[in-house]
Amino acid sequence: MILQIALTGILVGCVYSLVSVGLTLVWGLMDIINFAHGDFMMISMYTVFWLYSLFKWDPFISLPIAVIVAAALGLTTYKLIIKRLVNAPGLMALLATFGLSLFIRNFAQFLWSPNYRFIGESILSGKRIIFGDIIIGFPQLFAAVGSILITLLIALFIKRTRIGKAIQATAQNRDIAELMGVDTEKIYMLTFAISGICVGVAGTLLSGIFPVYPESGAMYGLLAFVIVALGGFGNIWGAFYAGILIGLAEALGGFYFGTQFKYAIAFLIYLLVLQFRPKGLFGW
Amino acid sequence: MKKFFTLVVMFISILIFAEDVIKIGAIFPLTGPAAATGVKIKYAIEVAQEIINGVYPDVDLDLAKSQGLSNLNGAKIQFIFADHQANPELAMAEAERLIQNEKVVALIGCYHSSATKPASQIAEKYGIPFVAGSSSSAALTERGLKWFFRIAPHDGMETDFFFLYLNYLKEKYGANLSRVAVVYIDNEYGVHASLMVKEKIKKYSGFNLVADIKYPANVTNVDIEVQKIRAAKPDVIIHASYIGDMTMFVKKYKEFNVMPKVVLSFCGGYQDPQFVINLGKDANFFSGTNATTSALFSKMAILAKINQLYKAKSGVDIDGPTLEDFASAMVIAEAINIAKSTDPSKILEILQTQTFSAPYFVSGKIKFGPDGQNLYSASVMTQILDGIYEAVWPEAFQTKEPVPYFPEWNKR
Repeated sequence: MILQIALTGILVGCVYSLVSVGLTLVWGLMDIINFAHGDFMMISMYTVFWLYSLFKWDPFISLPIAVIVAAALGLTTYKLIIKRLVNAPGLMALLATFGLSLFIRNFAQFLWSPNYRFIGESILSGKRIIFGDIIIGFPQLFAAVGSILITLLIALFIKRTRIGKAIQATAQNRDIAELMGVDTEKIYMLTFAISGICVGVAGTLLSGIFPVYPESGAMYGLLAFVIVALGGFGNIWGAFYAGILIGLAEALGGFYFGTQFKYAIAFLIYLLVLQFRPKGLFGW
Repeated sequence: MKKFFTLVVMFISILIFAEDVIKIGAIFPLTGPAAATGVKIKYAIEVAQEIINGVYPDVDLDLAKSQGLSNLNGAKIQFIFADHQANPELAMAEAERLIQNEKVVALIGCYHSSATKPASQIAEKYGIPFVAGSSSSAALTERGLKWFFRIAPHDGMETDFFFLYLNYLKEKYGANLSRVAVVYIDNEYGVHASLMVKEKIKKYSGFNLVADIKYPANVTNVDIEVQKIRAAKPDVIIHASYIGDMTMFVKKYKEFNVMPKVVLSFCGGYQDPQFVINLGKDANFFSGTNATTSALFSKMAILAKINQLYKAKSGVDIDGPTLEDFASAMVIAEAINIAKSTDPSKILEILQTQTFSAPYFVSGKIKFGPDGQNLYSASVMTQILDGIYEAVWPEAFQTKEPVPYFPEWNKR
């Protein structure tokens, strides 16, 4: 049984990681806390749901569209809101994105009602792998594999490509990066778009498992904050490992101490780590 | 001078010919996680308002026969809606606002027991009647409040109903049911419902509790909860859940091949017809108590008529909790009409002494006991069969026989 619980925790944690990777990029690079991050994911979930509902498109087919929508949302947010706040005190961006979050949720409620929607049937639904007593659902497994792949791709992009290095340079010192010929404006736009891509993929992967409703990104957004702080701001692999750690803690703690405590355990770990290592487990 | 006289005459005419409007506060979750249900309840209360204020000869209710309240010169009822967003503190604030600013003479609400509790405390403070429709936590009528009344059967009554039904399945169908798991949301409704199961199970021989699973109200996934249920191997799962979490549980039951024999639900997510829309054939064979079901419409003409008015607004059939909140609107209006006054103490006296006709319920009437609980609360046990909420017990209201065993997930 313990193996099943640990596996379940890792699979859930992988999805948490993907949601968090997008947030950590923006937070680490621009020092901007995007409170609307979970809501971007909700919009991508709705995109997948409506494509399924109207055209019977499987989430697999909708994935590129949901990613484009979330990336466009990230870009638009940067252009219309964040751009004006890059040099302002951090609290301004925090309040602005908090307001944006409220607006997106209420607008979603106005457009689509607060009803819980589910993707009925997809290519993966109902399929599972059984090893003796262990059962792994295909939707969960696919979500986890997808999360690992996207995280790997983004990490490689940041580490190996010229643009990725420009992103790192901008994160370390914007002025010097500009002196070196980096167009920091474009780097910021790109970062917001990548952040959107992460939640776009996460939203698509989750839409087969989790109900779609205006508040569906809220708890994931909150957990992403904990994971980013735990993993270290701006550290992609830090967010990835911290996501899995939180997923595992939630699963094992929930199973052995009571499921009502599962989030409390996750938040307790976060508080403990910050007590002893304020920059997070993998922060520098 | 002429202008002044014209204005005075106009003002007096308005005063003479204006119809009185009696305001009643209606506090429900109109946004937030339970808003889908709250909005449906709002439609039902709007139907009640139309029936009270208009003339509906084909609806066999006293208040449908004349415009407005006949004993108060045809005064109209106006329900003033407030949104508590599933937040108890907001429910309390809205109750205060409705009483202080809107000058409502009574309150109804709040669907969530956790919101009904503080809102009714405010009504108690101001000496205003509060009639709860669907809030089911038994704790609500155990507080010794003078101004609080509740129409729905509380979860203690529902729990007794569950065990009597399980005994019926054992006796009539030889169902082998002993291991019980209770799964519930971590709020007033869920916690109290689970307490009732833990308390009442001792009264019924042959049953033992093998799992007690509480999950967070804003749960993002229920994998671990379902793993715990799977490990406990229960014959019966009793749920106190809302529509979103209940749907997630069913999906995970299927994924992890959890195979109970019977799944019963307190009033909540299962009763919402969206449950069938969300899950299709996977919703079949789930059971729960319900104040009504569409299968009963053909047997109860007045219920069919109310549903017709309701469906025209909401697009869906009326369900149990929604009908109970409809009843709360009708009862408070009838109490004001019988009292011939909006004086709270006179309304209170009527609520305490009168037996109200409620032909849309299987019990046919409503009468509040000394604690404010409706003594005639009557539910039927429903089971989803071929996507329809069939009445399966008691046998007197049976529209189909129950299926006492949950078939395997891949053989549906």
